[in-house]
Amino acid sequence: MTKTLKINKSTEQGVLEFLKFLLESDKVNGVFILKKINGDEAVAYSLVANPEDLKDAVPFYPLMPVNAGKLLSRFTLKGSTKKPVVAVVKPCELRGFVELIKREQGNLENLFIISSTCGGVYPTKMSVDRTIEKNLSKYWDAVKRGESPSDLRDACRACEEFIPYMADITVDLIGKSDIDKQCTMFLNTKRGEELAKDMKGEFSEKELDRKKLDEICERRGVEKKKLFDEIDAKMKGMEGLINIFGRCIGCHGCMRVCPICYCKLCEFESPNSEYAPSDYESELGKRGAIRVPPGTIYYQLGRMTHIGISCVACGSCDDVCPVDIPISIIFKRVGESVQKLFKYVPGKDVEEKIPLITFEKEEFTEVEE
Amino acid sequence: MSELKGAVVSARSGTKETIIELLEKAMDKGIFDGVIVPMKVPAGDSFAYVFVKDRSLLKESFPLPPVMFVQGAKAVSSVTRLGEGNMKIAVIMRPCEVRATIELAKLNQTNIENMTLISIDCPGVLPTSDFLSNPEKSMKQFDEAVKKLDDKIMRPVCQICDKSSMIAGDLHIGTLGAKKDTFFIISNSQKGNNVVEKLGIKLKDNLDSWHNKVKGISEEKHKKRKKAHKDLKSEVGGIDNLVETFSHCINCHNCMKACPICFCRLCYFDSDKVKHPSEDYLERAESKGSIRFLPDTTLFQMGRMMHMSHSCVSCGACEDACPMSIPVAQIFSMIADETQGLFDYISGRSLDEPVPLTVYEEEELHEVEDAND
Repeated sequence: MTKTLKINKSTEQGVLEFLKFLLESDKVNGVFILKKINGDEAVAYSLVANPEDLKDAVPFYPLMPVNAGKLLSRFTLKGSTKKPVVAVVKPCELRGFVELIKREQGNLENLFIISSTCGGVYPTKMSVDRTIEKNLSKYWDAVKRGESPSDLRDACRACEEFIPYMADITVDLIGKSDIDKQCTMFLNTKRGEELAKDMKGEFSEKELDRKKLDEICERRGVEKKKLFDEIDAKMKGMEGLINIFGRCIGCHGCMRVCPICYCKLCEFESPNSEYAPSDYESELGKRGAIRVPPGTIYYQLGRMTHIGISCVACGSCDDVCPVDIPISIIFKRVGESVQKLFKYVPGKDVEEKIPLITFEKEEFTEVEE
Repeated sequence: MSELKGAVVSARSGTKETIIELLEKAMDKGIFDGVIVPMKVPAGDSFAYVFVKDRSLLKESFPLPPVMFVQGAKAVSSVTRLGEGNMKIAVIMRPCEVRATIELAKLNQTNIENMTLISIDCPGVLPTSDFLSNPEKSMKQFDEAVKKLDDKIMRPVCQICDKSSMIAGDLHIGTLGAKKDTFFIISNSQKGNNVVEKLGIKLKDNLDSWHNKVKGISEEKHKKRKKAHKDLKSEVGGIDNLVETFSHCINCHNCMKACPICFCRLCYFDSDKVKHPSEDYLERAESKGSIRFLPDTTLFQMGRMMHMSHSCVSCGACEDACPMSIPVAQIFSMIADETQGLFDYISGRSLDEPVPLTVYEEEELHEVEDAND
């Protein structure tokens, strides 16, 4: 059983009061959270120090303007935070952060993590055309029933990893009909329990409703299979790759927003990916014509090789692609098949090593032959 | 303008087809060893620049595609950033792409010594997302719009482009003011003269009807541009409006990557310079109550503006690549007109004009010196 803290307020209100308590009681010096900016216009992650500034916070808003894992890495890249900070993030954002920590791009020390079972997010462009606000009630109705609106990010509709790993506190959110009246937080770790100490509310012991969550997982699995089948049908051989990635404009936005891609200078933007006129001349002798700039598919496959093992399928790449390539499902598809080979779930455990940096004497002997 | 020499070319088989025939002829005669031209990608849902050596593939060229997926200057610099090659290459692009190429040449990011830059009268391009929503229909709409000289469906910056027929390269194909089944071929350099001469075309025809038509269009667009910039200034001017405008920015830097001018290998805003210890962020949050994280979205936009606005060609590639639909190109074109105007500079107009910030004039901008008196 896990210790729980129940507050008789709506889930969002309960969490906000808890955060206010943490700031006011100096248990933390900062809260890292999604917050509205410019009224209803946009949401962005913010670092809040003044409890008053929590009034515009929207911890479970169904948008992910930037994967918070990337932001937490930015926050702790130069070393752990000296003063305690609590971050409220989505499960895949936390998983992205954990993968970055494994790559020495972040630090968990003095950082408390609150996450929730996640209903998924809408494509970010919904905040641009301002259709998000009128979709909110539909979204929350679906979340209460444990369903996914059909216009969520593809990656979210197909997400089976919506229960956070590594969170100090998990907020019970999806498939729960009373989130407007009650806030239940699971205090998963000793640190989580410490944090909640002295907070007004009802402490007890409980478990997440696994049966209900399993049903949700199953539904999302069906959706995933559908999306995977579609991609499999399109992405056959070199011809399939050319058809799918042919319209890539090489902006590398997918790489820049990816929580796993942390290289300061991507191989595909480095001198290694530049060719001398003589290289073109000899290549033209063989091929007759070359697309310029070259390397459109090479980039995609290269990135896939580099990050597939750690892809958390957050869907950020889809959102920024100006030519609507379904990158997230392609990467999720390839990522999961690589992850399965190593029985690896990216972001599950910060102590678990990334498969590609560990050597097992007895593995893949079939490749040797 | 009056020194430009040109010829009327018969184009009974169609403008596109005739351009291709001329390119084929030029390759047969050894005037060019290769051509960089747009082509449709195999899936048919976009266009890409292709460097062609095999003459038989030229028939696939698409000299004036309805979209600009990649700015042509980027295609050119990918071939000659590391120096000039041995091949004589012709490049067919839109005027703003030729201008960006010339800016990059000045910035030592491409070598156009062995290149013949050919531009075409440009009716604008469709926003990439509009095109992608239905490529086939978009192709038809584009053709219709070109016939009617209607720019309403083009990129917003194309609608206010007053340099859509500007000749900055070696040769230009003029379709405006041309009689039915003809176009003008106009030379702007000795290199251009030589190419046309070798093709057996004499540069002796009158260009008045092209000049007049171009003058009319660019004057009208210039007025539209001034008005659009004035309106935009009231919308985004001042720090509050600016912050609000860029509040949607998610720091993907697509604008910078799509920009033909932004050539830095590692942008300052992707470098370690903008990564701070957590205490710094927390201190800022404590002093202001809360800070947006990432904190440097507006800073990035303004930094980029300072770095490249004197060379901005207002092509609109940034705006098309922005996943948050920020009117980046419109804002940058407004600022670019002002910064370039200060130096009487037009980006990409001529290879001989140095980029303003690379030259020192003792007698200029005195008003800045006096600002603190």
